Amino acid sequence: MITGRGVTKTFRQRGGVLAGREVKALRGVDFAIEKGGAASFIGESGCGKTTLGRIIAGLEPHDSGEIVIDGTAMSSLRPRQRQPYFRRIQLIHQDPYSALNPTRTVHQTLNAPLTLRAGQTRRPRSWVDERAGELLSLVGLDPGYVLPRYPHQLSGGMRQRVVIARALTVDPEMLVADEAVSMIDVSLRLGILALLKDLRERLGVSVLFITHDVATARYIGADGELYVIYRGQVVERGPVETIISDPVHPYTQSLLSAIPVLHGLERPGEQVVVPTEALDESHRDTGCLFARRCPFGTERCLTEEPLLGHGGGTPQEHACHHPMSRSVVAMPVGGG
Amino acid sequence: MTAPIIAVSGSRATLRRNFWRGVWRVLKRKPSRMLGVAIMALFAFMGVFGPMLYPERLPRDDSALYAPLSWKHPFGTDFEGTDVLALVITGSRYVLLTGLVTAVITVALGTGIGLFAGFRRGRWDTVLMRITDMKLTIPGLPLLLILSTVWKFSSAVEMGLVLGLLGWGGVARAVRAQTLSLRERGFIEAARGLGLSTTHIVGRELLPSMAPFIAMNMLIAVTGAVYAQVGLFFLGVLPFEANNWGVMLNLAVFGGGALTTTSALPYLMAPLLAILLLTLGIVLVVDAMDEIFNPRLREE
Amino acid sequence: MTSEKVAVTAESTVKGTAGRTAPGVRVSGLSVVYRTPAGELPAVSGIDLELVPGSITGVVGESGSGKSTLALSLLNAVQPPGRISAGSVEIDGLGDVVRLTGEALRKARGRHIGYVFQAAQNSLNPLKTIGKQLLDLGRSHDVADLRGLVREARDLLGRMGMDGARVLDSHQHELSGGMRQRVGIMFALVLNAHLVVLDEPTTALDMITQATILRIVREVHEERGLTTLVITHDLGVVAEVADRLAVMYGGRVVEQGPTAQVLGAPRHPYTRGLLQAIPRLVGDIGEATALPGRPPTLGTIPAEGCVFRERCVLRTDVCETEDPPVLSQGESLVACHAVAAKARRDGPATAARTWEPGDVWAIDEIPGAGGSDEERRDEGIRAAGGVPQVAGVRRGQGGQA
Repeated sequence: MITGRGVTKTFRQRGGVLAGREVKALRGVDFAIEKGGAASFIGESGCGKTTLGRIIAGLEPHDSGEIVIDGTAMSSLRPRQRQPYFRRIQLIHQDPYSALNPTRTVHQTLNAPLTLRAGQTRRPRSWVDERAGELLSLVGLDPGYVLPRYPHQLSGGMRQRVVIARALTVDPEMLVADEAVSMIDVSLRLGILALLKDLRERLGVSVLFITHDVATARYIGADGELYVIYRGQVVERGPVETIISDPVHPYTQSLLSAIPVLHGLERPGEQVVVPTEALDESHRDTGCLFARRCPFGTERCLTEEPLLGHGGGTPQEHACHHPMSRSVVAMPVGGG
Repeated sequence: MTAPIIAVSGSRATLRRNFWRGVWRVLKRKPSRMLGVAIMALFAFMGVFGPMLYPERLPRDDSALYAPLSWKHPFGTDFEGTDVLALVITGSRYVLLTGLVTAVITVALGTGIGLFAGFRRGRWDTVLMRITDMKLTIPGLPLLLILSTVWKFSSAVEMGLVLGLLGWGGVARAVRAQTLSLRERGFIEAARGLGLSTTHIVGRELLPSMAPFIAMNMLIAVTGAVYAQVGLFFLGVLPFEANNWGVMLNLAVFGGGALTTTSALPYLMAPLLAILLLTLGIVLVVDAMDEIFNPRLREE
Repeated sequence: MTSEKVAVTAESTVKGTAGRTAPGVRVSGLSVVYRTPAGELPAVSGIDLELVPGSITGVVGESGSGKSTLALSLLNAVQPPGRISAGSVEIDGLGDVVRLTGEALRKARGRHIGYVFQAAQNSLNPLKTIGKQLLDLGRSHDVADLRGLVREARDLLGRMGMDGARVLDSHQHELSGGMRQRVGIMFALVLNAHLVVLDEPTTALDMITQATILRIVREVHEERGLTTLVITHDLGVVAEVADRLAVMYGGRVVEQGPTAQVLGAPRHPYTRGLLQAIPRLVGDIGEATALPGRPPTLGTIPAEGCVFRERCVLRTDVCETEDPPVLSQGESLVACHAVAAKARRDGPATAARTWEPGDVWAIDEIPGAGGSDEERRDEGIRAAGGVPQVAGVRRGQGGQA
């Protein structure tokens, strides 16, 4: 439904000490998400995954590269003409507290886009209220309770459900969930994840999940594709289960190694990878971007840029000169 | 799920009713707010009906010039023997009307320009803010002095228009700053992503979030306007065509020598007291604005 | 500054360290209430918790569980409208903190108890360098040897993998989130406190940075001989660092014990539910099950009976009215009527059986506990139903049945 080719984005710092400095948020990213499919972007904060999500949702322009939605290249359209395409892709914000207008009731919040939709699709006005109720029920809320309320009267989990319901008002084909559960209580997170999963399975809505938590990405779509992003580049890309069980890029391995081990239930992986130093954006851009932090880096890594591909015959694509599968993920105690 | 969708169709009226109920609740929370509202109501009444209570030309009592305080003349009389209270009451209309017109113009212009600049950003923002800065550097008083040589400000609306045109700069800057920070919020972004119209986003999403700020500015602009015009009349820059508080102050000080003798003191104090009381009323009500326009604070 | 002088101060610091050991902490019957328009509401009630000298204890709970309030109580730093209404916090070498006031209390914070604030990343003064803030701290605690303090800070920062001198010369905005967090830990330790409280030490940090910080916490803890308390909402974090674990819910500790034991064989339905609600990297993804309902807020914590009953699949009538008994087994404690009933029936031995993800809960054994209709129990729908069985305060909804 949406594909991207060589998408780049550079931010220039406006004011302050760093004025004029350039930050390369995206350095040429390719992606493809099918209708009804699932994809996840994972990586550290600042790796560009959020920027890419915002570009995909049409909230941010990109510098170069091409984005194609349902066969139409966005570059061939004027900004105004792109709107109907990007409307099909709705972003679910990380923070359900700022994503809802505190001065508007849930009813008002849902009514505005629904009224617009009713106009576009020539439906009667009565449809608006009916549909608002339907959508709230769909996301697991009781319309009678929620509709007249203001956001502050709802819990974080309920708010995020309202946000999802609002995104559904325009019949989107894809939802972009940017860390959609990180600000929600632990016991309520799975409910939201299950809802996204359910929407995908029942309504055929594609889900793009942006997170630093690989396990939640797996929950949303174990059959989906995982993009591991590092400093604006995809360093590993393939089916979720493949990358979790056989990661070949040392950066992916460090991310997976960093996931806390539930001692008592799990034992740590045997070949845990720890980066040799902390992330430093000022590292030079030649060669492999991860080389300086990589425990397995060689001379070649410092000079020659690795390209994304199936080098070494791996099932997934990766950008590493020395791909090697390591067992880094914690395993259940007693189990296989 | 066939839960009855409760009275959704009539909800706009319901919301409005709930809003006013909330306002009442907020005002009741502190006695000082009720006092403020009472004071403002009193002045509003004075402004609207005050002049109707007295004859066109106020009666003079030549035998009681600068009369001391009495039941008949609670604030004494002026140099012509006219009751000072009557002067204050009949003079309020011009003062308050000016304040109101100024406030409306200041806020309308300031909010409009600030919103537009902050929401559009880019070139529009640069141009509008340049103009605003230029406007802010023009000193108000000298300009008014010059203007008053060619313009007599006989009607309150004219006076308010001029003061309003001079005063919107600060509001515009502040509203722009608020708009810039609000437009990054998730709900504004979501509205854009849903394809909602700019009119909707600005009118329904942005403006209500700034309502307490705008309301506060409006009230404070009233006091500013009252000070400004009373000052102008006091200085004698403007002709004494209208009966108002500034004129009273001027006559009390320069005509009656209120600063040196006690006889004209009530004549000086009455309009001052009126200004003080009006300011107090406004300040007491301003305190409630945050709670009135924030649903969370209003409902609790 | 001559090298000789530096050597002397360093030595004196070392001596100071050697003079003290990890203190034990005994919290007993601690209750904290907050004054609200609806009366005084308990945020924390009747907590008994012991921090064993030299151990790392993790307190895990969701928002509204009272975990942060508990942490503040250790410093006697609960701010109005909250107040400690009952109980004591005995710290070795310091006495009952609840009774300390004024200057004595201020001195105890920093000297005896180091506190790393929630979002320590943002708790530094943006206008002063880290070094200046360090000197301010030293002066307010009457440290005579400020040079020794700086030296100690530099060593600590170096220990945590940073260039100490450079960091002390930096402003907050020149440091990354992970670096600021380490600076926060340095501030907590530099006055030689041996009891350290870390409130959400890794929130808003990346996975890799989080792993680094947790490793540092563990290492520094061991090297300096500390008693450490980690407050978090993330089971993974406590699982990674803590020796012992206390699970809080609705202002109470519902289960506590050695980490491996609590995670390996959780007994309280809440602990089980929480563990089951976390998606895993391996195994059947379908096993993850959402916990129904939502955590209580200050105003909705039931006044009597079990605080978790609203979301519990093992609920019985007795949960409505009576506080659950605390059942001890080995080193762990659990407060649950269902667990107690099962222990009474089967004897204590069976309850120790290792629980595995996917275990079917013994719903059929408990009369009146129907958990099949989970859809209806979802939060919005629950709330809409007026929550018929809540005995607690629920403003604007009428109340109880």
